Amino acid sequence: MPREIALADALVPGLLLIYLGCLLVLWLIDTIIGRYGLYRYVWHPSLFRVAVFFLLFGAAGLLLYP
Amino acid sequence: MSAVPTELASWSHPPWLREFAVEEGHAWIFVLKSLLAFYLAAWLTMVFQLEQPATTMITVAIVMHPQSGTVLAKSFYRALGTCTGSLFGVLLMAAFPQQRELFLLSMSIWVALCAGGAVLYRNFTSYGFVLAGYTAFIVVLPAIDHPTAVFDSAVARVSEVMLGIIVSGLVSDVVLPMRLRDLLRRISREHYQHFIDFARGSLGGAIPRADMEKAHLRFVRAAVQIEDLRSSVIFEDPEVRARSSRMQLLNLRYMAAATSFQSLHHLINRLQRSNHPRTAAALIKLYAPIGEALSPAPTEKPIPRLLATRLEACEAKLPALAAELREDLRQDPNLLLEFDSGTTLVRRFAAELRDFTSLEASLRETQGVAGGSVERVDFKRANDYASPLIAIVRTFFTMATLSIFWIETGWTFGLSALLLATVFSGLLATSPSPLVATANTWVAYAVGLVAAYFVVFELMPGSDGFVMLILVTAPLLALGPYLTTRNATLPGVGAGYSLGFAYILALKNPMVYAPERFLNDSIAALFGLMMSGAAFMIIPTVIGTQWLRRRQLVQLRRQVVFAATAPMDGILYRFESVNRDLYQQIVQFTRPGSEESRVLFAWALAVHDGGRAVIELRQDMLHEGLPPPVRESMQHAVNALADLYDAPDSARWTAADSAVDQAITLTTQTLPQARASCQPALADLLQLRTALRDDESALAPYIVKTAEIAHAP
Repeated sequence: MPREIALADALVPGLLLIYLGCLLVLWLIDTIIGRYGLYRYVWHPSLFRVAVFFLLFGAAGLLLYP
Repeated sequence: MSAVPTELASWSHPPWLREFAVEEGHAWIFVLKSLLAFYLAAWLTMVFQLEQPATTMITVAIVMHPQSGTVLAKSFYRALGTCTGSLFGVLLMAAFPQQRELFLLSMSIWVALCAGGAVLYRNFTSYGFVLAGYTAFIVVLPAIDHPTAVFDSAVARVSEVMLGIIVSGLVSDVVLPMRLRDLLRRISREHYQHFIDFARGSLGGAIPRADMEKAHLRFVRAAVQIEDLRSSVIFEDPEVRARSSRMQLLNLRYMAAATSFQSLHHLINRLQRSNHPRTAAALIKLYAPIGEALSPAPTEKPIPRLLATRLEACEAKLPALAAELREDLRQDPNLLLEFDSGTTLVRRFAAELRDFTSLEASLRETQGVAGGSVERVDFKRANDYASPLIAIVRTFFTMATLSIFWIETGWTFGLSALLLATVFSGLLATSPSPLVATANTWVAYAVGLVAAYFVVFELMPGSDGFVMLILVTAPLLALGPYLTTRNATLPGVGAGYSLGFAYILALKNPMVYAPERFLNDSIAALFGLMMSGAAFMIIPTVIGTQWLRRRQLVQLRRQVVFAATAPMDGILYRFESVNRDLYQQIVQFTRPGSEESRVLFAWALAVHDGGRAVIELRQDMLHEGLPPPVRESMQHAVNALADLYDAPDSARWTAADSAVDQAITLTTQTLPQARASCQPALADLLQLRTALRDDESALAPYIVKTAEIAHAP
């Protein structure tokens, strides 16, 4: 994946797009978990959420920019 | 902490001390979280080599709030506002790179519009507008002398602001979070309990007007408060987000039940006053089963599910009891009519109460989302366009005056003054007493500047490295968040101090030693703040003034017109929610117990009563079996009522009264042929007539006495 992507002639870092994509995925996961009330099995929901985000972002970033 | 009931324990932990400790504990947790967010944000900005860690810190100062739900909600709207504002700033710079007059004119208009939006919308949406205005400014600020750099400046500022948002959101959500969700749950349970207790306790029928007034105020506050909390908790908690539409429906059912309850008691009170104690007594007897259903045996736990089943059982008994009581009143047809309309109200109330408790039960019993979808309803706010308009005009003149001053004098730091004026004319426009708020903020801002002066020029020169930076700034910076937790007693002070401190600290890497810039910038900032205060003196705010209250009262009265003319789809929720929002807005600024508050309450009751009956009547008019001439006469009555509430006077009252009367006569005549369609409509018409002829209602001054005599038996 290119380091920088031209969006309407403005160079945007590719990592930023991945970041936004990960936010979207996180939001999706969060909604699904909330919908079925699964957060009651988690000790600290917001810490869990942050951890999931780090996993997603870390994995995507490292896979796409080895 | 568990209370140990021994002499020694109560001596060593007196209750006031424990309370004090808990309160201080919360405050200091918030202070620590804020400091953590401040330094994390500053450190990350430096790591990422962004130009101005100060912008990030200012962002943190604005966004941090003791409860976590509000930070996330604020952050969401703030992010939206930031993006919009920076885009507009870049566009403006591209359009007028050489024309400072046109540029400043457009900027003033933009900021003014944003301030207007901040007044028009409430809660955190309002915040987004303030930020859209000031980000546009902050983006162009450093680039104003070399327009070619505007894009880079915009990118840097947006990155800094976003970083501040993310860091403060993360810290307040993860580190020792204080949940708004718990508050929402506690409050909604409290209100539920209060309403049930109130409905149970009023077995005797008559409730003194003062009590009713207090109860009404509480019902209204409850509905608005729950909606406010719900709309910000959905940012915090996906579970609440999933149940959001159910909670809105619960609120609707709560409001509907409260309105029916009030109409019923209104009717009983009136019957008792106007020498029909037998009818009143019969209605009270009819109400008794509901009270019994609400008070289960003390051995059983009064959970909502139990109440719902008991109410359902009681509802089945009501028609038989009504028929029995009706038998006793048979000799007087006039009384019978009153009793019939009362019966409809009791049954409506029972049904609504059952719906309300069963929904509350299903909300308490299920985790996550229960199966099945619910009706989507939306809480409508009542907006008045006068105060946003005034805010727009005021802000525009402030900005324009400052711009002209800046251009004419060539003042180097004019931009700082403009920036501060931008921020505060938006933030303070929503305040009911902006002058006091400005004065508070101004003083706190000045104190923040002095503290920062001490830090920057006494402590910082001798320090080195990030740890030293934390050590020298933390003690005085901590004062800001601490003052923020005292917002109830010292409004605006915490925000002013934090902003002043973070703004003038102007953290940079490496720091520059520039006392003259410091002083110039301070003077400019204080000048800008003072200018926005002066604007409030010249064009005073209308929020909370007599004029606006009178306007809003007219708007409240026209709610009946809305009920009579608006499309039927979802009308009930819009009617109930706007009523409450309006009442809440007016009642904030009226002295309890004054003549004004009495008049307001009378109108609120009349509008609730009349509007609801009109909606029910229109619902019943949709029935297919209704003969066209009858429907026509009903429509005529609805129109006449709308006219009356639009601009009440005696002639319109007479017209409305005779129209309703005519509809009643016609409906009674056709009753034997079309009982199924006419019966419910007749009850609504009777309720409307009762409300019209009530000599204690707000319509009393317009009642023409002859009409009463003509119909006397």
